[in-house]
Amino acid sequence: MKPESVKPKVAFFDFAGCEGDQLQVANMEEKILDLIEVVDVVNFREIMTERSEDYDIAFVEGSIATDHDAERLQGIRENASWVVALGSCAAIGGINSIRNSQPYDLVQDRVYGDDADKIEAWDVAKPIDAIVDVDGYVYGCPINQDEFVHVVESLLQGKDPNIPTYPVCVECKMNENVCVFARNPEKNAANIKAAVDNGSPAESGPFCLGPVTRAGCDSQCVNEGTTCWGCRGLVPNPNENAHQEVLEKYGLSVDEVINKFNLYFGWQQEELKNEQ
Amino acid sequence: MKAIGKAEFSNFVDELIADDPREVIGVQAKSNKFAFDPLKSAEDLRLDYDVTILPPKKYFMPQRETLVKYNTNEGEMTAVNEVIPRIIFGIHPYDLIAIQQMDKVFEETHSDENYLAKRRESVLVGVNMKNASEWSFAHTMGTATTDSGYDLMLTDIGDKYAVEIGSVKGSELLEEAKSQLDDVGMEEIEKVREFKEELPDKFRDDPEFDPFELPRLLSEYYGKDGFWEENAEDCLSCGTCNLVCPTCYCFDVKDVNDITLTEGERLRTWDGCMLEAFAQVAGDENFREEKAARYRHRYMRKGRYMYNKFGDIACVGCGRCSEQCVPDIADPVDVFNQMKEGTNGI
Repeated sequence: MKPESVKPKVAFFDFAGCEGDQLQVANMEEKILDLIEVVDVVNFREIMTERSEDYDIAFVEGSIATDHDAERLQGIRENASWVVALGSCAAIGGINSIRNSQPYDLVQDRVYGDDADKIEAWDVAKPIDAIVDVDGYVYGCPINQDEFVHVVESLLQGKDPNIPTYPVCVECKMNENVCVFARNPEKNAANIKAAVDNGSPAESGPFCLGPVTRAGCDSQCVNEGTTCWGCRGLVPNPNENAHQEVLEKYGLSVDEVINKFNLYFGWQQEELKNEQ
Repeated sequence: MKAIGKAEFSNFVDELIADDPREVIGVQAKSNKFAFDPLKSAEDLRLDYDVTILPPKKYFMPQRETLVKYNTNEGEMTAVNEVIPRIIFGIHPYDLIAIQQMDKVFEETHSDENYLAKRRESVLVGVNMKNASEWSFAHTMGTATTDSGYDLMLTDIGDKYAVEIGSVKGSELLEEAKSQLDDVGMEEIEKVREFKEELPDKFRDDPEFDPFELPRLLSEYYGKDGFWEENAEDCLSCGTCNLVCPTCYCFDVKDVNDITLTEGERLRTWDGCMLEAFAQVAGDENFREEKAARYRHRYMRKGRYMYNKFGDIACVGCGRCSEQCVPDIADPVDVFNQMKEGTNGI
């Protein structure tokens, strides 16, 4: 065991989010014992009561949606040597950014009803790197425990973690899953087109966001028979247009496609538009 | 050539599953598709399949494979080569031809013991194609039948399988079914010949090229303005066409450490030249940053580079890339026909 003094101190913080990513860390069980051999956890409200403002690595969960959040995050950034975004809300805006494309008044009214005027929030939810510099990302909703370990291990060695830039399809193929788009041979693109051409009511075929979503989850949702919802965010250079065309070919309406993309990609899509 | 009744063949497979120390693999239904998987019963073996999701290369070059284990406290490194001896039932001729191409790659360039040991310890039982995927153009590529690459080759001739012996390994495996084997007469030989004669009808008839003109066509089209950009426009860079290809063998190597940084392993995983980071090097330079450059590279590799190096056209016409590409842009027949016709409007 390394002497106490050389162990980096680690703290966990949370903003707008469900704390499910910290729960994944808390649920590491015996692997947590390995973790505390190499780092001192000084702040982690899900598992301990002690608090400390003296830390080296800050894991930050949740999106930033208020001035108060932003100030607190800036304080964390000043204290920490490394800031790591933990989970989709912190890393890419995630679920919180569904509301970014909706009128703020409507969102406020839906969520808080009669108390809407007591809440002062921004009209968009942002990932933490929209406010401060970020040194590392652990993607996912929730995060993958092995990837968390890999990011910690990489930080401790001073190297960049190896996070896939390719889409989930890679892992799906390696796992030899039947592609979501091929699960129902009756609902292939040609049959759907023929039905629409015949004037039949458009019936949605399969959808999967795997082709534009960053891998690293071992395609676990598709492995279990469901579909990829995009929780790890878009790959760095997604071919969104091509995939939207694919989804439309499989019978999704333009609105449905937009809704699917908005579940996790809200903030990232805005960013891509601004870049262009 | 020998023959074995279908019921006797099933018993033979079931006996291997029960008694042979090797793992018995066979093509089985996987939902509405097919896959090579360990067999629990001869009943599950589907020798009438059209094509599998992944080719059998996964047994010689696994998707994820540990090459080295290390312990930094002890300063120890150990080479790892996990070899599971296997009997693999139901390999189609195009996949057998692909495996022979892979053997050359792993033997003749840098002898790769992790691949070669797995090959040596495998028995390959081929089967002539009763059905073909609607995307397959094996006949065009000359891979609908093969005279080599198998230890045993089966042909469904009604109530029996005709069995051709391709190697001593195959003959030894057949020893275990010796009492069930019949010698063949003209009737069986004729049925196998007929089976092969009917094969071309099972494949698509749209290819307009001959495989051996591909190196020249690809050379002419290498710098063709706009050709690759147009064809690659809808590419998602998902690598599916690479990963499902029986002649793609590129891999990535990375170290996976435990959190205490004392133990770890060096892992090799499948990679693909269509993935954006494939040609990315230190300093973030990327030699094939544009998807059109990556898309072109895949075709050059299949139809020209491998031919120049080994004399093989490295597309065996299985149709897996064509079928599994979600935006439907990976069909080699489409691209090769465009070249042949010169009709891309350029």
